[in-house]
Order: sequence, then structure tokens, then C-alpha cells
Amino acid sequence: MPEMVNSKIKTPDEFSEHLMFDPLPRGVMNDMVMESMQTTSWKFWVVAGFLGIIVLVCLFGAWGYLINEGMGVAGVNRPAYWGIFLVNTVFWIGISHAGTFVSALLRVFKAEFRRPFTRAAELMTTFGLVQAGLSIFMHMGRVWLFYFLAPYPNARGLWPNFHSPLSWDFLAINTYLLASTMYLFLPLIPDLAMARDRSKGWRKILYRTLALGFRGTEGEWTHLRTAMNIFAFAILPVMFSVHTIVSWDFAAAMRPGWSSTIFGPYFVVGALQSGIAAVAMVLVVVRATMKNMKYFIRPEVFDSMGKLMLIISMSWAYFFFNDYLVQWYNGDKFTDILLHFHESGPLGWMWFMMLIFNVVIPWALLWNKKIRRNPTILFTIGLLINVAMYIERYVIVPISLTINRMPFTWRMYKPGVEVWLSLGTLAFFILLYMLASRIVPLVPVWEVQEGQMAHSLRKVGKATVPAVSELE
Amino acid sequence: MDNTSENKVEHKWGMVIDQDICTGCQACVVACAMENNISFVGEEDAGYGRGMQWIRVERFWEGEYPEVKSTPFQPVLCQQCGKAPCEPVCPVFASVHSEGQQINMQIYNRCVGTRYCANNCPYQVREFNWRDYERPTPLENQLNPNVTVRRKGIMEKCNFCVQRIISGEDLAKSEGRIPEDGEIVTACMQACPTDAIVFGRLDDPESSVSKLAKNGRGVKLLEDLGTEPVVTYLKGGSSYARNG
Amino acid sequence: MEEMKTLLALFEDIDPAADAVEKLRNMGLSDDQINIVSGIPVTEPMLGRPHQWTNVPRLALGGALAGFLIGLFLAIVTPLSYPIYVGGQPLIPVPPSIVVVFEMTMLGMLISTFLGVFLDSQFPSYKPKEYVPEISDGKIAVFFSCPQEKEKSIISALKFIGAKSVEPAEAQQL
Repeated sequence: MPEMVNSKIKTPDEFSEHLMFDPLPRGVMNDMVMESMQTTSWKFWVVAGFLGIIVLVCLFGAWGYLINEGMGVAGVNRPAYWGIFLVNTVFWIGISHAGTFVSALLRVFKAEFRRPFTRAAELMTTFGLVQAGLSIFMHMGRVWLFYFLAPYPNARGLWPNFHSPLSWDFLAINTYLLASTMYLFLPLIPDLAMARDRSKGWRKILYRTLALGFRGTEGEWTHLRTAMNIFAFAILPVMFSVHTIVSWDFAAAMRPGWSSTIFGPYFVVGALQSGIAAVAMVLVVVRATMKNMKYFIRPEVFDSMGKLMLIISMSWAYFFFNDYLVQWYNGDKFTDILLHFHESGPLGWMWFMMLIFNVVIPWALLWNKKIRRNPTILFTIGLLINVAMYIERYVIVPISLTINRMPFTWRMYKPGVEVWLSLGTLAFFILLYMLASRIVPLVPVWEVQEGQMAHSLRKVGKATVPAVSELE
Repeated sequence: MDNTSENKVEHKWGMVIDQDICTGCQACVVACAMENNISFVGEEDAGYGRGMQWIRVERFWEGEYPEVKSTPFQPVLCQQCGKAPCEPVCPVFASVHSEGQQINMQIYNRCVGTRYCANNCPYQVREFNWRDYERPTPLENQLNPNVTVRRKGIMEKCNFCVQRIISGEDLAKSEGRIPEDGEIVTACMQACPTDAIVFGRLDDPESSVSKLAKNGRGVKLLEDLGTEPVVTYLKGGSSYARNG
Repeated sequence: MEEMKTLLALFEDIDPAADAVEKLRNMGLSDDQINIVSGIPVTEPMLGRPHQWTNVPRLALGGALAGFLIGLFLAIVTPLSYPIYVGGQPLIPVPPSIVVVFEMTMLGMLISTFLGVFLDSQFPSYKPKEYVPEISDGKIAVFFSCPQEKEKSIISALKFIGAKSVEPAEAQQL
């Protein structure tokens, strides 16, 4: 009888390319994570030192210069009172949404491929929010009075103005920062306990303190998992609300091109677009530079990230077109002029670059599995997407501010010291991440083991299919 | 400023600017700068859009000399909107509405410099102190002692010479009367050689500003935005045979 | 008076651990004399253990309520106490108040959930505790306290089920 061979039927061996079907004993995985955290080559310190210098000069040095001289050394003017500082703020908050997306949204939807990299993504959230906060402080004319924005009883008889989207920003970003740091810490506790059990010296003291005496009793696990479930569900509305509120900084203003009702979801999707691309970039680098990460971060991760990047790119295009079509159609004189200025003004090439990198390239390439699974190509696509998203915010803030309803005031924005400060925040982000990779176990091993326990292979007819049990 | 309920002075101050007789001489700009201690930013910063004039004279033109077609001169200053878009967006209440004078106030020592108010002003009449600008000797002698000198990082704008309004009302109250029409003048009104700028109480139907505001030529800037500006512009040019 | 000894039995897998729990119950130990410590969360039904109560959801709800009230305070009480009119908007505008109340509610819920874990688990606690480092390597430890005379029979029964070791539990500095 002729044998029917179907190349799509996987043999049990072929499943082992997936992390969930290639289990190692927990002790071995613990070893791998500890090793990757503690093995540091001299090249690491060279890069870290270089970044440290950039942070000192371009971030703290230039910021001191800015505070001393005043906003005049930046590029902001009339009518572009906001410039790269706000672009950076929105950009970094966008990046920070990636972490929450991976560790909360993917957890809620039980997407098992998230398990090895939830912590790597969550670290991006915390450090991205630090950069966003710095950028907000940078743009303030009198930053030493920042506490005026905080709601607390005081002798001035004044509370902040809650009519203002900036006050909502203050509450929302602080909520998100606290929430995502807590959400980073909770699943980290069992891994800190593991690190405590396996270290000596200063590390042991550090991990013992941070692990809070965690052992893994039934009570501790129950409290922890209940809390993690509450966080996963509750941090999602916070995540959506944060970037929506940031978008309302623009949408609540009555500038042509800004007062668009679609800014809320448009910005959230834009955040996911740049965030997921950034996660892909970080994972490529982590996998290439840290020991043992090739076991945890496999081409299947890049495959899934690539698919996500494609879908989100399509959503971004949908929201962009929604915003564009309605403005193009409705004929308000100044909005018309603004749209023309975007496309055919002096910076029209940026607008086109944004569309090509955000839409054309992902749609042309990410449908292909081989391309998605190739870390170098995925890194490049992710980088181009992030460049495009930075341009998008640049188009929305300084370029759109150039055109307003008083043509006498139209003037181009030319960045000044903001360029150095942006470089400084990028270097700071990378530096913080690199230092964290030496102290924080980057892979949540207990979650990986939990996942591996839940995955099994089943025979359905002649096919071997993966099965995931609900162990929770 | 006395804003308690017992002493609330409920006057609505407004302005009319006649574009037909404005010559574009910019005396109003200079007088305002002198009265309100406005900084001189220098040529480079002014060219980059950082001039700090609280009132600016706008005009547009096309063509080459001698066939130049131009619009009438338009002095633009803070419109002291009834529904000011700059007010709700300031996170620290530095831009608030004065209930006594019905104008928009800028509280210098509260401002933290987020510049949201300036972005949201459709008339773009708010100025920001981009630096601490120098006042080389002997220019500091011309500072008006009734007006705060602002430092870097603070937003400022025309406030209808509120220091003159307050001192005029205080003087009148001390004499047991209300200020007469024309007694309290802003610096720009005082300096204008053609009396194109008229300032007064809009809540007094007999004042010249109220009567002029009802003129058929009167328009408000960007009125359809619903900001309720209190400055009325009397249209000039075209049908009045200046430049055709 | 019986002397109670605390012992620790280490298991590699869930099945022998579940059998062990059942065996211990058959030998007369009550549920609160048995404790499970593991390197991954093993739910109570898997081991045949009684449901573990946690206060975290209630604390989360309480925190959400506290946050809600703080949000209402910020949005309603502060403008009433220090009224400042801006932009022709009412003193207490509804849409911004919704934003403020929402954010404070979420903040209250999340902070109290986080602190609830600390409270319920009595974190941080650095006293010496019964523990072995193998637990974080994925083993399942069954702690139990049994009367002195049953000790030997329990140990042999557990070894028969498949315990990797059954030792007296010592409280040590983690």
C-alpha cells in the first residue's frame, strides 16, 4: 500500500525546536540563567563605559547646561513650543508599552511563547518610563518647581489643575511607572529566591534582601499568583489609558492636525508598533550577547514577534489612514495646508520615510517565515520601524506645530541641544538595561518550567500535535 | 488684586482696534515693551521666532514694488478670551481667569514653563522667556517699578496693563467714585498716534469702546473657534481705497 | 506529652508528592501539620490539599475603593475648596474628573494588591526558616510535623513512595 507522506506532519523530534517541548531539568536552567548573568566579558565593560561617558556628557552635562541657560539653547520657538522633548517622551512611553503588552496582554491571552522573555520586556518598560520621565522634566522651563504638579496639601492654597491633560499625565504616568515596577517585581521574587540560593558574597546579600524571605510555600505561591492575575488584568486598562492620556496632550489642544478624535487609539497602536519592534531588537541583542540565551530565546520567538509586528503595522496603517482621510476630506483651510506641509513641505521626505518603514517594509517582508526567524533581518526591520515611529512623533509635534491659524507666526523648528539630550536618554536606557542584566535574572525560569510542564505531545489519529494543559 | 467677594469689582474690560486708521508705526509695540519690562532678545533669537513683544503688528503682502498689494495692518495682542483655551491646559493654574477684570491672567511665580498654554492659544500671543536676557546699563533704569521682571522659564503675555487698571480703580475708589471712561488707558492706547486702539469697559454701554464695538465693520479674530475674545477689529482696507 | 518532630521530604515530581500527602493523611497527620514548599506553583488540587485562602483579592478591592475616594477628593473637593475658574469650563468638569478617578482607582487597586502579597506572606521576613536550596531547583518539599514515635514508619513509607530524602527540618538563615 503506498504510504501517504505529509510533510506538514511533525515528528515528535521536530517539536523539540520549541522551548516548551525541549525541557531541561530546572537545576540546569537555573545554572544557565545564573551563568549568563554573572559571565561578563571585558567587551561589556568597554561598551558600558562608553555609554556611561555619553550619559554623563550628553544627558547630565547637557541638561545642566539647559537648566542654566534656559530653553533658548533648545530648538523650541513660536510656534513650535514643543519639540524633540515631547517627541522623546511619547517615544519612550511607547517603548515602555511593549513590556506590559508582553507580560500582561500575552499572559491574559495565554500566549505561551511569551514565557522566556516577559522579564526582558518588562525591564524595557521600567527603563523606558525613566527616560520618558526625564524627557518630561527636560521640557519644563522651570523644572526645579516640578513639585507644583504634585497633588498634596500645601501652604500655597493651590492644588494642580485637573482640567489639564498634563495633570492627567502626571497621575497616569506615575500610576503606570509604579504599577509596572510592581508587576516586574512580583514574578521576579521566586527567581530572586533561586539566585539567593545559588550565590555568594555581595550577590547573596542583595538577593537575600530582595527575595524577602520567599520560600515557595503554598501560601506564598497563592498570594503571588492571585496578585499576578489581578495585575495582568488590571494593568491593561492602565496601559491603554496612559498612552491615550499622552495623546490627549495633543488632541485636547485646538491646533489644526492635533484636535483629532482618533488620537487615543492611534497612539496606543503606535506605542505597540514601536514597542514590539523594540522588544524584538532587544531580544536579538540579548540572544547574541548573553551566554545560554540561545536555549531560551529561539527562532520561534522571533517568528511570533514578527507576526505581531506585521499585524500591528496593519493596525497602525488603519489608524493613520483614518486620521488622514477625515482631515483630508473635511476641508478646514488650515488642516489642508498642514497636510500639504507634511507631504510636500521641506521635511516631506521624513513623512514618506515614515510610511515606507512603517508600512511598506513590514508588509513586504514579515509575511515570510524565513525572514521573521532570521534575527539580523528582524532586528533591521525593528530598527526601521522604530525610526519611522520616531519620525511619526516628530511629524506630529514640531512639524505640525509649524502650521497654525495665524500664518504670520509660521516658522520651522530647528533642534538645538535636544539632539544631545536624546542621545543621552538612549544611552541611559541601554546602560540601565545592560547593568540590570548583570543583577536581575533575565529569564523567569519558574515560568519557563511551568510552561514546559504544561506542554505535552498528543497523538490525534496519525498526527502528533502539541497540547497545552491549564495547570492554573 | 482684590478678589474677595466683598470687594469684587465686576468690570469687563475690552478693546477695539481700528485697522483702517492703524498706520503700522509700531508705537504700541514700543510703548508696551517699555511699560511692561519686556526683554530685548536680540537679532538672532528674534529672527528665530523668539521675539517677546506682547503686541505685534501683522501684515501680508504680495507683488513687487510698486505693484504691491498688502493687507491692512493688524495689531495682534492677547484677546483675553471669555473661554480662553490657554486656561484649562495649564497643569498648575498659572493661567487663570480674573473674575474682577474678566481678563486672562498669567501668574508668573506659579508658571513652571510647560508651554502648553502657548501651544493652545489660537492667536499665538503668548511669549516665553527662553533665556535670561541682558539689560545692559543704563537700560535697567527704564524698568517700570509697577511690573514684575520675569526670569527665564516663565510664560508671559499682554494683560491689558492690569497694573494700570488696578491703580486706576484704587485711585477712583479712594476718591469714592468709579473710573471714568478714558481715565484708565493701556500703554498701547496711550502711545497710538492715530487713536486706532480704544480701551475701556465693555460692561458700560456709554463707554467709547462699547459703542465702537457695535460698529458694522467690527469682526473678531477666529471667532468661529468659540474663544469669545474681547478685542474687536474694525475692518479696513479694500473698500476704503487704500491699496485697492 | 508527645514530642513533635518536623521533617522534610524531598520529591522530584508531582505524583509521588501527591501520594505522599495522601499517605501522611492516612497515617493520622492533619492538614495543618503538613506544608508544601515548591519551586514552581503546584496548585492545591494537584496535591489533594485544601484550598489556600488569600486576602489579596479583598485587599485589592479595598485599595480600589480607597483609590476611588482619593480620586473623587482630588477631582471634586480640591476645586471646591480653592475655586479657580479656567477656560469657561465648570468648576468640576465631568470628563476630566472621570480620568482622575479612573487613574487613582487603578493605582489604589494595584498598590494594595502588591502590599497585600507582602502582608499575607509576611514579607519581608529574614528569620531563619525551614528550607533547602533544592526547592528552587524544582523539587517539591513536604514539611510535616509528626509525633516522635511515628517518625520511623513515616520515613520508610515516604521513601517507599519515592522521596529523594527525608531529613529533619532545620531552620536556617535563607
